[in-house]
Amino acid sequence: MSTSVQNAPGSGTAAAPGAPVGELVFALIIVSIGVVGFVAGAGIQTPPSASDIGPRAFPFAVSALLVVVGAGLVLQVLRGHRGAADEGEDVDLEAKTDWLTVGKLSGFVLLHAFLIVPLGWPVAAALLFFGAAWSLGARPWWRNLMTAIILALVLQFVFGGLLGVSLPPGFLEGFGVFGG
Amino acid sequence: MSSVDNFFLLMEGFATAMQPMYLLYALGGVLVGTAVGVLPGIGPAMTVALLMPITYSLEPTAAIIVFAGIYYGGMYGGSTTSILLNTPGESSSIVTALEGNKMAKAGRGAAALATAAVGSFVAGTIATVLLSFVAPYVAAFAVQIGPVEYVALMVVAFLTVGALLGSSVLRGLASLGLGLFIALVGFDALTAQQRYTFGSPFLADGIDVVLVAVALFAVGEALYVGSRLRHGPIKIIPVTGGWTSWLRKEDLRRSWKPWLRGTAIGFPVGTIPAGGADVATFLSYASERKLAKGENKKQFGKGAIEGVAGPEAANNAAAAGVLVPLLTLGIPTTATAAMMLVAFQRYQIPVGPQLFESNSTLVWALIASLYVGNLMLLVLNLPLVGIWVKILQIPRPYLYSGILVFAVLGAFSVNFTPIDVIILLIVGILGFFMRRYGYPIAPMVVGLILGPIFESQLRRSLAISQGDPVALVQSPVAATIYVVLVVIFALSMLLKRRQRQFEAMVVANADAPDVVRGSATAPETAAAPVTSAPDTREDTDR
Repeated sequence: MSTSVQNAPGSGTAAAPGAPVGELVFALIIVSIGVVGFVAGAGIQTPPSASDIGPRAFPFAVSALLVVVGAGLVLQVLRGHRGAADEGEDVDLEAKTDWLTVGKLSGFVLLHAFLIVPLGWPVAAALLFFGAAWSLGARPWWRNLMTAIILALVLQFVFGGLLGVSLPPGFLEGFGVFGG
Repeated sequence: MSSVDNFFLLMEGFATAMQPMYLLYALGGVLVGTAVGVLPGIGPAMTVALLMPITYSLEPTAAIIVFAGIYYGGMYGGSTTSILLNTPGESSSIVTALEGNKMAKAGRGAAALATAAVGSFVAGTIATVLLSFVAPYVAAFAVQIGPVEYVALMVVAFLTVGALLGSSVLRGLASLGLGLFIALVGFDALTAQQRYTFGSPFLADGIDVVLVAVALFAVGEALYVGSRLRHGPIKIIPVTGGWTSWLRKEDLRRSWKPWLRGTAIGFPVGTIPAGGADVATFLSYASERKLAKGENKKQFGKGAIEGVAGPEAANNAAAAGVLVPLLTLGIPTTATAAMMLVAFQRYQIPVGPQLFESNSTLVWALIASLYVGNLMLLVLNLPLVGIWVKILQIPRPYLYSGILVFAVLGAFSVNFTPIDVIILLIVGILGFFMRRYGYPIAPMVVGLILGPIFESQLRRSLAISQGDPVALVQSPVAATIYVVLVVIFALSMLLKRRQRQFEAMVVANADAPDVVRGSATAPETAAAPVTSAPDTREDTDR
């Protein structure tokens, strides 16, 4: 077992591959959420009869927290202190971020959201599994497809049929065991 | 309330938990919990979040028993993975993973698994006994405190979870702030004004906690792992020998003291919000290393059984300790505890100091089911290790695709609208970037869940004091709590620095080439394999 040294466990900041632009943008987004919180918070109506501090104070406090912490993070990143990316058994910290896979996975989840109603849950879920497995590099395609179909049917049966969760059955409409 | 009363209440709890139906639910819970604990990328917090929308049809007691089983099962499963999987795991478990992993490589994997399982059982049982005795007294104290003290306790929870759980204080606080912010979206509970809804009817009801949790845990994790998936075969260290002969006399002699010490360290650390099980396992590991003598001491970093026994016990004892503030005060200090709190809310069980009085049957059934679940785990875990290894070998593309499918299932089941799946994706992408840039997830979930309770208590406090913020620190109890907070902070910072140096030292030592084989003898490896390595795909069970 070789443990990489530059990602020493527990170290607060460590070198991550790639330029810090993304990290900087993320910190700036935190600041801007705080700013939006202030602007939109000013629009919150306060009933005149309110006997306590009203509905605005806490949103303002949270927005202030985000602005201050976000600004601190921007400074930290600019000074070269980077966040240590999350570790995990299946994570290869040496690998560069594979944006294409992230895009594909997100795309299939989005597609799934649009297909649930017209095609029914089992078909939409099978497509999601099939697409995600393919994006993550599983081959051959027919095994992925078989697994996807079986998984979707089993889930529809267990949750739609047995536990009574109202998943739209799609083409399985009328088969009682899959929930109607 | 006397302890005799509590004893009778506990016995009633057993009477509930021992009903065949509930035993079955507990069994299901511990099995699912162990399975997800074994699988990388899925934890008990994610599982409880995923199961919540799809277990609506269960009655509250059954659901809570299932979740309790998952909570304990996840701990057992996690140790199996860190011992048998040949990749560096999370930093939180790195020291234990190191010793267990080295033991497995030296052909002593069976002993490592056994000492972890029995140690978890011993620690879990003792800690659950402590929980049954301590919790009613804390609860009796808790019902007397007012909103001001409650605010103080939640400030402690926020700051310790936010600043101490992750590796970077600012990132933890940013994560906390994001959670608090999302919790604000929707109607204000006190004045019914819309906040941050931007005129959208979908946001008027607020963003569902379960939806956000599933998105952060499941979708964020799947996207993040997908972006950096470790390719190639899954290397699992084979375990040899029948499981009945796993813990030898010598191993037992070296393990029992670390188990007890680990329990003694883990339970108190779990009850205070000082970084959770991480700190407990580290403290236990460091003390075992210090206490070891002679030949045993040399094995540290190369597969010392004490280094598995102590921290695993501490880990489980801390898990029981976490339940003390959760059940008595309604304050979660870990992500899993936060999800348990959501489960209570879902079933309209009021959490907070009144829980022990208003729902004593349920609470005692939950505690009794922890005893039962612990015993089930001990009995099942070792014989079923072959199954757990099978689960570990699930091809990763299928594992993470499956996680995505379960996530969309859970999200859709919240309100049965596809819009929730789109919100799931958006929050999931946020979770992806948080993981990538080193922002911890747990503070966000805790902020999301405690935020609304905190705000209402804060406003109640200030209404009583007519807007004077000084009142928040004037009560002696609240002032004491804030002082304790400062002490916890100072200690934790010190401890973290030590931990960092210590881990760097351990890792450096462990990479040294010489492997001390302990008392293991190499020929044992030739025995019939209980579990198959990826290259030898035979499934002879013992």
